[in-house]
Amino acid sequence: MSRRVYLDYAATAPLLPEVQAAMVSAMKAGYGNASALHSTGHAARCAIEDARAAVAQLINANPEEIIFTSGGSEANNTVAEIFRGKKVAVSAIEHPSVLGSMRARTEECKIIPVNQEGRVDSANVPTDVDLVSVMLASNELGTLEPVAEITERCHKNDIFVHTDATQAIGKIKVDVKSLGVDYLTLSAHKIGGPIGVGVLYVRKGAPYKPLIIGGHQEGKRRAGTSNVLGIVGLGAAATWCWDNWSCKLFAEKVRPLCDDLRTRILETVPHSSCNSPMEGCLPNILNMSFRAAEGESIQLYLDAENIMVSTGSACAAGDIKPSHVLMATTGDAEVAHSSIRFSLGIETTQEDIDRVIQVLPGLVQRLQGISTIKIKEEHD
Amino acid sequence: MTEPAPWVYSDTVKEHFLNPRNFLMGDESKYPHDAEGVVGNPVCGDQMKMFIQVQNDQIVDVKWKTYGCASAIASTSALSELVKGKTLDDALQVGPQEITDYLGGLPQHKFHCSVLGHEALAAAIENYRKKE
Repeated sequence: MSRRVYLDYAATAPLLPEVQAAMVSAMKAGYGNASALHSTGHAARCAIEDARAAVAQLINANPEEIIFTSGGSEANNTVAEIFRGKKVAVSAIEHPSVLGSMRARTEECKIIPVNQEGRVDSANVPTDVDLVSVMLASNELGTLEPVAEITERCHKNDIFVHTDATQAIGKIKVDVKSLGVDYLTLSAHKIGGPIGVGVLYVRKGAPYKPLIIGGHQEGKRRAGTSNVLGIVGLGAAATWCWDNWSCKLFAEKVRPLCDDLRTRILETVPHSSCNSPMEGCLPNILNMSFRAAEGESIQLYLDAENIMVSTGSACAAGDIKPSHVLMATTGDAEVAHSSIRFSLGIETTQEDIDRVIQVLPGLVQRLQGISTIKIKEEHD
Repeated sequence: MTEPAPWVYSDTVKEHFLNPRNFLMGDESKYPHDAEGVVGNPVCGDQMKMFIQVQNDQIVDVKWKTYGCASAIASTSALSELVKGKTLDDALQVGPQEITDYLGGLPQHKFHCSVLGHEALAAAIENYRKKE
């Protein structure tokens, strides 16, 4: 079997060795309950506060504005809980944990349209709502959203702003002060931390209401015994991003690989097209469609070659409808069903990209060859 | 701890997906056939087309084209193996459950792939009988 090529970092990034070491040492430390006053409890409390400081530093927040959660979905659900019964507006390409929780809890959830690149025009943001939620970068396309501009506009109309920064964190600079947002979501496992822990940043003075009640943890803002190991892991991942200038690494090392992958796919794979924007895109996400070849089949043919990617096809997720993101940007179900997302990380190498280019054209052509869809030659 | 499953579908699905049987590559007009049947829609993510050669009411050769997921490709591949050499009436008896069983099972949300395969063949046989 050939070497494994992992290009699904946007789904989850492998645990960083430094994170693993921090978590193992926390396991061995035999921490007590962080709420306890005795010394083993206090040690756990200290480890949690160190992690809080590390996350706060990474996003230029104050530590008391950081609330640890079980992940991005809980953070997003918490924002929906704060605005229960109110009017909100969210972009058409939000993660399902934003779309679903806002629709379920608010009085009205308006959908802000996006252009063909998946970008919100701040002029289209409603001015008659209580909250606007627009993600910092799309998890499927990588498209960067004009959140600072949206915030400026919203605050003039006394509208609060939330941004889901789950994909952006560690890849581009995320600064809550320059974004001006009131709420921000992030998750550990997208930056080399463990699965099952995330953060909701709540700007000091912004309205708040806990989603999980029945305990005084996190300043009575999130009940439940603190997930010390997870939080320590998240803190270590945030520290790693800060110490290693992860955004610079992504810009200088990962973006050229992602650009190379796009250029060579367009050159070597017939009837391929790019769904991600050329400008204003995360450095590590590339979404492509392959006419007449279905996404799950491409994904599993790649898997058979030990290459891991993801797809916006409905078939893969056991869903009825294909990616709502590609439907919002293209309106074309076939493009959505035929899409593949490549997402790169700091461990991605030129050899990984070369390996994809070695096998992808042949397997896509094979699927196109047995496809019922006839490809008309396009002249442009 | 149990060993992690090596693949998301059964070994037979994997085999028919990676090494499909009786597929029709490229221009379908180059394959002489007596009838064809098509079901599904690319908008839904699955479309299948079956081509049959018939002599004395018997399917002497069958080929297919599929746009769809691994289960869709495997279902048409398996079906082509199951019906080759069968009479038209016997071939119609090969239903979705038989295709699924032959494949060593399909996940519940993929069972429709075997239904589509069966329907594509049934459409081809119906078209053949209309011509006769």
